[in-house]
Amino acid sequence: MASSPHPDIEDLIARVAMADRAAFARLYERTSAKLFGVCLRVLQDRAQAEEALQDTYVKVWNNAGKYRVNGYSPMTWLITLARNSAVDRRRRSDVGRAVQPLELDDRLADPAPGPAQQAEARDDAQALALCMDELPPDRAEMVRRAYLEGATYAELATATGVKLNTVRTWLRRSLISLRECLSR
Amino acid sequence: MSAEPQPDLPGGAEATAAEYVLGLLTEAERRDFEAQLAADPGLEQEVASWCACFAALTDPIPESVPPASVWSGIETRLHGPARPGLLRQLLPYLLGAVTAAAIAWAAMVSGLLNTGGTGPDLYADLVAGEQGLELLAHYAPDSGTFMVRRDAGDYPPDRALEIWLLSDAEQAPVSLGVVQPEGLTSIPLDRAVAAQLGGATIALSEEPPGGSPTGLPTGPVIALGQLAER
Repeated sequence: MASSPHPDIEDLIARVAMADRAAFARLYERTSAKLFGVCLRVLQDRAQAEEALQDTYVKVWNNAGKYRVNGYSPMTWLITLARNSAVDRRRRSDVGRAVQPLELDDRLADPAPGPAQQAEARDDAQALALCMDELPPDRAEMVRRAYLEGATYAELATATGVKLNTVRTWLRRSLISLRECLSR
Repeated sequence: MSAEPQPDLPGGAEATAAEYVLGLLTEAERRDFEAQLAADPGLEQEVASWCACFAALTDPIPESVPPASVWSGIETRLHGPARPGLLRQLLPYLLGAVTAAAIAWAAMVSGLLNTGGTGPDLYADLVAGEQGLELLAHYAPDSGTFMVRRDAGDYPPDRALEIWLLSDAEQAPVSLGVVQPEGLTSIPLDRAVAAQLGGATIALSEEPPGGSPTGLPTGPVIALGQLAER
């Protein structure tokens, strides 16, 4: 994510791995607003998002030593921890929550050269946004719900009114299209 | 692909890696996938790149500053409840032990008198409990030398131990040097580095022979200590 100064955050994580509490405070100061935004988006509830943010930084403190070996950019690592903490809470706390209907449309993916090929994508986020636009809107919405809301296949099946295995096939195809677009 | 949930599903291992990152696999599928992941670095890479791809979906999400209670909650969960303020800790002593206070004052004054010129000698114990290793680190300002002495235990036979300086949160750890396997380790320090030592934390990490290849700690940190006067 272009907005975050990566080398600094990487250094801070290296120091957190050495139990440096001052570096941990600095890392929190730099990254918590972003990660709190992510938790709020997933949980749609402030109290729950605050809990998820605490879970996230407890994991950061406990797992910072493993960060260096697994080859993630620092913000990807932090966002993944935050998203997963929030999704864990969401799935635990609102089993049987009401599912927002997801309207299907029959528009096919745009096979013409998309904006992704025309414009030089400035960064990952922009490239992804362009490739998401190449998916049919309902499929892009499924991908978004799966990641940003932690929607399960059962929930996506309820939301769309199609069978679970059909939803699964659609989502897997969409993900592969997304990757193909991103690698172009 | 043996870890494929159902052979008729499209997308192969690449799509399964995405489902894993999204948390969409069934329990049994997830276990199979993780077993395969442990054995296949290519699959690990696949997972990492899906994480990066999905993380970019959060780019349009506005930032939101969390309330201060979140940070104090994290501190409490990790390090226990905050200690009472310094004054409250000291109050019993201030009220009761006038003599003790007088002695402390005398010690402080003499301590202050000693700090002229080159600054005080600094010491830190580095105890690696798991390895049964005890080291004493000592900075002698008159010679500008940082020394490490082994007091108990043995050095690991095929690993180097490296000393790191953690002076403040703005800066990456600075390597002070690798501990010599035989005898006293003696490392001459630049004045700029030496100036950061007072009160700083030092860490001992296990590294490949010769020390960290990256300039940052790569192995586990086995001991931490704080440099202080004695």
